Amino acid sequence: MNVSALTGNDNYFEDFTPGEVIKHARGKTVSELENVLITNLVMNTAQGHFNEHIMEKTRFGKRITFGGCTASLIIGLASQDTSENALAELGLDKIRFKVPVCHDDTLYAYTEVLAVRDADREDAGEVHFKHWGVNQNNDVVFEGERRTLVKRRSHWGNQ
Amino acid sequence: MTDTFLTKAKLRPKGHFYEEFELGQVFEHHWGRTLNESDNSLFSTLTIQANPLYFNAEFAKAHGHKGIVLNPMIVFGTVFGLSVEDLSEAGGAFLGVDDLTFEGHVYPDDTLTACSEVINKRESEKNPDVGIVTWHTQGFNQKGERIIEFKRTNMVSKKGAGIL
Repeated sequence: MNVSALTGNDNYFEDFTPGEVIKHARGKTVSELENVLITNLVMNTAQGHFNEHIMEKTRFGKRITFGGCTASLIIGLASQDTSENALAELGLDKIRFKVPVCHDDTLYAYTEVLAVRDADREDAGEVHFKHWGVNQNNDVVFEGERRTLVKRRSHWGNQ
Repeated sequence: MTDTFLTKAKLRPKGHFYEEFELGQVFEHHWGRTLNESDNSLFSTLTIQANPLYFNAEFAKAHGHKGIVLNPMIVFGTVFGLSVEDLSEAGGAFLGVDDLTFEGHVYPDDTLTACSEVINKRESEKNPDVGIVTWHTQGFNQKGERIIEFKRTNMVSKKGAGIL
């Protein structure tokens, strides 16, 4: 298998420069398909994510999207530009949910490269990202940092 | 005539209120979950994940794996999900996560279990109906190896506050 032909050539470790800010190309409108399915799939039992009737009586008036779903969508929307050539996800930090996300909200992802550093293996390096997720009104609904182990082109670019 | 079961039935509530959490308290969470390949493929494609390690078995094998690798975000979501009834089902906003570490790869058909310890609790300055609680949550595979850990912070409803 020609591994390097299956992924992009603009997102190896060598391509990331601290301070670079990326607007990711695709957004996604959140619906029951994302929120209810992912909430139930991971066995999150908080019915505020899947019981419309009970949420109608609250100040929200409707179901709220599970933060784990929002975080997964933002990281997913950012993934082609940040981790298509990653060997592993290392960690997350300072994850914050700022504004509730409801069905029919549309999410977009932004990323800043905070730092790059050598890893304990020579074929990859660690990239430290900051992500933002915004809704259709540019309200920041999510922010957080992420550490990812990304392949070096010098080792993987022609595999 | 009203159905008698509606008037006879006693609610079996789920979850814990702010007053019930004590520093150092440990919860071994219910159920566990075996994550299979379809769970992972559905989750990864639905969230528009672009790393083929999580949906292309031959690509994953070319990177030294035995097959597809579980998307770390479904691992996080599942360990989180298993903790919800004990920690946050009584209501209150999910505020954030800190110091999350993915400790090695997880594969389809691995079985995850979760436990948590209360590491902080305090009153909310803005809302007397809730407190703010932080837990250290850990997820394990079927061999007992820890595969994830993180600190989660939530608002937690107080007894009788009636919030969700």
